[in-house]
Amino acid sequence: MNALDYLQFVLAPQVVNGLALGVAVVLVALGLTIIFGMLDVINMSHGEFYAIGAYAALALGAAGINFWFLLVLVPVLMVPLGMAAERLLIRPVFDSRDRHVTTLLVTFGLALVVEDLLKVAFGPNTQRPLTPIPGATELAGIIVPNYRLFLIVVGAAIVSGVAYVVYRTRLGAMVRAAAFDRNMAASLGVPVALVYAGTFAFGVALAGLAGVLLAPIYSVFPTMGRDFILLAFTVVIVGGMGSIWGAVVAGLLLTQVQALASLVISPVWTDPIVFGTMVAFLVFRPQGLFGRLGHA
Amino acid sequence: MRDRLTLSMRASHLLALVFVAAALALAAIGAASGDTFYLRLGTEALIFAGLALSVDLLLGYSGALSLGQALYFGIGAYVSALTLLKVPSFWLAMAAAGGATLVASIFGGLIANRVRGVYFALITFGLAQVVAKVVYNTRELGASDGMIGIPVIDIGFGPVSVSAGNPVGFFLIVLAIIMGLYGLTAYLLDTPFGRVLTALKANEKRVPFLGYSVWRARMFSYVLAGLIAGLSGALYPMLRGFVSPELMFFATSGNAVISVILGGVGTLIGAIYGSVLLVLLKSIIGSWTEHHLIVIGLIFMVCVMFLPKGLVGFIRPRIEERLLTGAKEPAAPSFAPARLEAGSAKP
Repeated sequence: MNALDYLQFVLAPQVVNGLALGVAVVLVALGLTIIFGMLDVINMSHGEFYAIGAYAALALGAAGINFWFLLVLVPVLMVPLGMAAERLLIRPVFDSRDRHVTTLLVTFGLALVVEDLLKVAFGPNTQRPLTPIPGATELAGIIVPNYRLFLIVVGAAIVSGVAYVVYRTRLGAMVRAAAFDRNMAASLGVPVALVYAGTFAFGVALAGLAGVLLAPIYSVFPTMGRDFILLAFTVVIVGGMGSIWGAVVAGLLLTQVQALASLVISPVWTDPIVFGTMVAFLVFRPQGLFGRLGHA
Repeated sequence: MRDRLTLSMRASHLLALVFVAAALALAAIGAASGDTFYLRLGTEALIFAGLALSVDLLLGYSGALSLGQALYFGIGAYVSALTLLKVPSFWLAMAAAGGATLVASIFGGLIANRVRGVYFALITFGLAQVVAKVVYNTRELGASDGMIGIPVIDIGFGPVSVSAGNPVGFFLIVLAIIMGLYGLTAYLLDTPFGRVLTALKANEKRVPFLGYSVWRARMFSYVLAGLIAGLSGALYPMLRGFVSPELMFFATSGNAVISVILGGVGTLIGAIYGSVLLVLLKSIIGSWTEHHLIVIGLIFMVCVMFLPKGLVGFIRPRIEERLLTGAKEPAAPSFAPARLEAGSAKP
């Protein structure tokens, strides 16, 4: 096999598949990084919110609701859930002496409960919704499933939309101000409590949206969140906790490392490489690639 | 001079005596009735209590939350299993497991102690995941199936020897080892060095001004915690006759954290009570539903939010009062040095 063929038939499909996975990871990591950047809360139950989104899509899809409508409906349904979680679990311990550890533990407890609830409600088996966009397209000699192309485009649109709202709108400025100095923001008239609840709910809604989008590719099972959250945490750490661009760059980079490494070594060994990258980053550059949201 | 910490440690020791008495009663009842199931379950609870103890040493004293303590537990278990498969000697297995976890925790500590707070939690989580994945995919270590067929050994104490297959005998040995580890940790915390560890949690920034090395103290507590977890893990294959990668998974580390929170952070004995409580809860709830995690998760959340000092943290102040009124000295020192509170670690 000459070099050009290798490029076209081995390397390029791997890069495209890695890109689809990368977009998926970025979508999950985005909510995680926003919640950390704004509220200073490590949401251990983020993966479970992602799973709730996927199961909601599955159940409502089975009830005959159109996939395109679900893309809007599920995130909207996730908002009150996120608000309730923030109000009942985060707010009471938000001002405790060590917010990081306490909120991490509370959301860890929530993750346990939700995972088992999903098992009760939907059974432990893996389910897979039908792909809403069947078929595949040939792009420069590479055959790519249409749904993956759609995912890459939609993912890019969502990330740009979120970045626009956070960095270029008045609402985003209020949110960043509340994250930077909550007392000062409050004295300037920003409804800080509402902003916090809204931000948390927004992060949760993003996780739910990721669940709807990724269910047709990665199938749906109760522990799906646990498997994905590891990679998402890695992305958030490498990109810099709380940084949107960091999450994007790190998400795409790490999934490419994973995709390309699996060409050379057995795929089961790529996980240690990815986590090894995270450990190396934590040791040598704990602030990650980019700085933190709302903190210049 | 008795300060608050000595007093609370004494209260912990009283609770430890109560625990040992209850455990001996269980052993006596078990021996009399010929029961094996509850004794085996109790032994397993004690082994995981050792893991919880190591989590409490980190979280409750130096204030660092480890989400990957199962790493050292698993290393201890695997090294012990590998040793037992070659040479069926209890002491050799314990020594090998201890040595391996010592080396591993020095290595892990060098990495993890470069960061603190949330990053420490995530790095310990990541380290354990990496090693668990490697073990999960290594055929020489049995891959996802783990290793089975670990022989039942005889544990020799000079002229006497007890078989690990004897439920009462092995239960008592594990009880002795775990309570020994508790005693060792409690003793170390009562030394000047232990006070440096406590100071880390109260105010890490001031410790260097008093002339102590923060890094050395953190490193020491991390290695000690790793060693405790490893020695507890080494007992696991002797009880069950197999090891599996699940021992290193997050679920195992998470259970240890749950035990510590239920029992009471920063009380040491609370970790042991918590571990037994968790096993009890699991078997009681498990008898009427297989979805016990819902209940345990809810209890855990309520504990974190409303009872941050856990079960022992709730009972212990009452014992302390008793100890105070029983003492001949007219009054305890009126100052209250940094109380050990759950989740008061500095990020």
